[in-house]
Amino acid sequence: MPRKPRKQPIPQKPRSPFIPWRDVLDVLTLFAWGVMLLKYWLTGKLNVLLHPDYMWLSNSAGVVLLLLGFLKGWQLLTRLRRQSGRDLSSQTHTTLLPPNWSSAILLGVAVFGLIYTPKAFASDTALQRGITDTLTATRSQPQRFVRNAAPEERTIIDWVRTLNVYPEPDAYTAQRANVTGFVIHPPDWPDNYLMISRFVLTCCAADAYPVGLPVKLSGSRSTYAPDTWLEVEGAMGTETLDERRQLVIEPTALKQISEPKNPYEY
Amino acid sequence: MNQLNNAFTLFLSLMVEAMPFLLLGVAFSSILLLFVDERKLIAAMPRNPLLGALAGSLVGFLFPVCECGNVPVARRLLMKGAPASVAVGFLLAAPTINPVVIWATWTAFRDQPEIVVLRIVFSLSIATLIGWTFSSQKDIRPLLQPNISRLMPAPSTGNPAKDNPSNPGTSVSPLLQSGTYLLQQPGQMFQLDNSTAYDLFASSPVSKPLAAKLKLMLDNMVQELRELGGILVLGAAIAAFVQVAVPREIILSLGQGPITSILAMMILAMVVSICSTVDSFFALSFASTFTSGSLLSFLVFGPMIDLKNIGLLMTVFRPRVIVYLFALAGQMTFVFALLVNLHVG
Repeated sequence: MPRKPRKQPIPQKPRSPFIPWRDVLDVLTLFAWGVMLLKYWLTGKLNVLLHPDYMWLSNSAGVVLLLLGFLKGWQLLTRLRRQSGRDLSSQTHTTLLPPNWSSAILLGVAVFGLIYTPKAFASDTALQRGITDTLTATRSQPQRFVRNAAPEERTIIDWVRTLNVYPEPDAYTAQRANVTGFVIHPPDWPDNYLMISRFVLTCCAADAYPVGLPVKLSGSRSTYAPDTWLEVEGAMGTETLDERRQLVIEPTALKQISEPKNPYEY
Repeated sequence: MNQLNNAFTLFLSLMVEAMPFLLLGVAFSSILLLFVDERKLIAAMPRNPLLGALAGSLVGFLFPVCECGNVPVARRLLMKGAPASVAVGFLLAAPTINPVVIWATWTAFRDQPEIVVLRIVFSLSIATLIGWTFSSQKDIRPLLQPNISRLMPAPSTGNPAKDNPSNPGTSVSPLLQSGTYLLQQPGQMFQLDNSTAYDLFASSPVSKPLAAKLKLMLDNMVQELRELGGILVLGAAIAAFVQVAVPREIILSLGQGPITSILAMMILAMVVSICSTVDSFFALSFASTFTSGSLLSFLVFGPMIDLKNIGLLMTVFRPRVIVYLFALAGQMTFVFALLVNLHVG
């Protein structure tokens, strides 16, 4: 069958209106970032990323970015309608990245952020970062030492801060404890001990550091897999772990709970 | 898989925390770019070299720009006749000594207020000292790129701030001067020298009408946001990667040594080139493993000299000046940070 000669595309002069791709990319990026920040706010996932004190910053940034996106988009539309071509009002700037790359990277991050759901850190991170029951040298100032709180109302971080101020474990013997946290199996502890732990934030997830208290079980810790969230009720006692006398919770009740909406403590 | 999740969470958390400050930084820098007239500012600067350097370092409070915005401003200052001490002081201190950056640093290091205070003190002292050093060069033009020094008035014209290009202030007949002239009335002529030409084409946008100003402001904000945001993404990605992928033993052994930690953080500051408005959050992710002195060296040195900045500085200074700046700032930062590590940490 004789092949039909392929139709040559008629060489057309590009008469289509000039589209300033960089501006389009800018508008898209601004919108995507605004939507992403607002999405984290509305779905409550911001809890996983930030300290609550700073959430208003991220929320207002979302609103401002959307606003900027609208302004820039409106500007772009009027310019396209007027066909006035490109506006070269740029200030003198030199940068490491070509501008289109920057936009593309930013847009990519925002799209990724919209798809991906951030997850709170888990036991392996805690082990990697090193759990302390004393706040390390860099975190020496107890910010909120609640002296009068009843022992059973103390959270894990309250306990650790209290211990930091007065480290002798015997002072707390038989005080009642009621804490929630996730399970860690420290590798060099005997099988009947686990660590009940929480991450503490001062600013954002980047500085999350774990704190924890040992829990002495009657059986094997394998009943409670790592990263399970537990509510531990019991009394305090003193045991020697890691060749060091430590405050230990001797539980009377262990209840499995679902991961709280706000997994960190502050 | 969990590692990857952690890295993503860390990365997003850094981005989400830093974005509001970046936005604030570019908003301020865009507003003040349009509403502050540098010429009036220069006229108000003290003439004494040391005081000039100090004043220049503090001008950052009026121009809250990070290190990407400050080089263009420093260049405008120089071309409008600011003394070297003022311009260099501004160049080195402005990215740190400004309200947005101080607030961001405070947000990040709330429980280590000494980091915030020492960052300000060190940056201010280093910038003032280097500015003072540069003031020994009376005519700064040999240090600058030729295309800039050509645009500058000679320092002999008295008060450079009042230097009026249409009146060169010398008694030499205009006929004996070279340059481009516009002939006005017979006998009168208007010298269109480079400085005037520069003023005509690139005058400070302060004189433009409000609508144009607002449009310029929006454009400038989006442009800076785009450029700095791209760098921020890279910085946050590096921070997240280092935290998750590099074994903790290596980081600890590097980060706990009083000298190695400072050197490591200074090199990191150079390479990462993260904007000073948000670099505290980057440093924060190293706060539990690195010495305080090294965090400070990152926060002090990074805004002064980094890879991105060197490209910008090349548009103003000749290479040997950049080497001086780099060496002076680097050594002083190192010494200060070492003092902190040995006597405070």
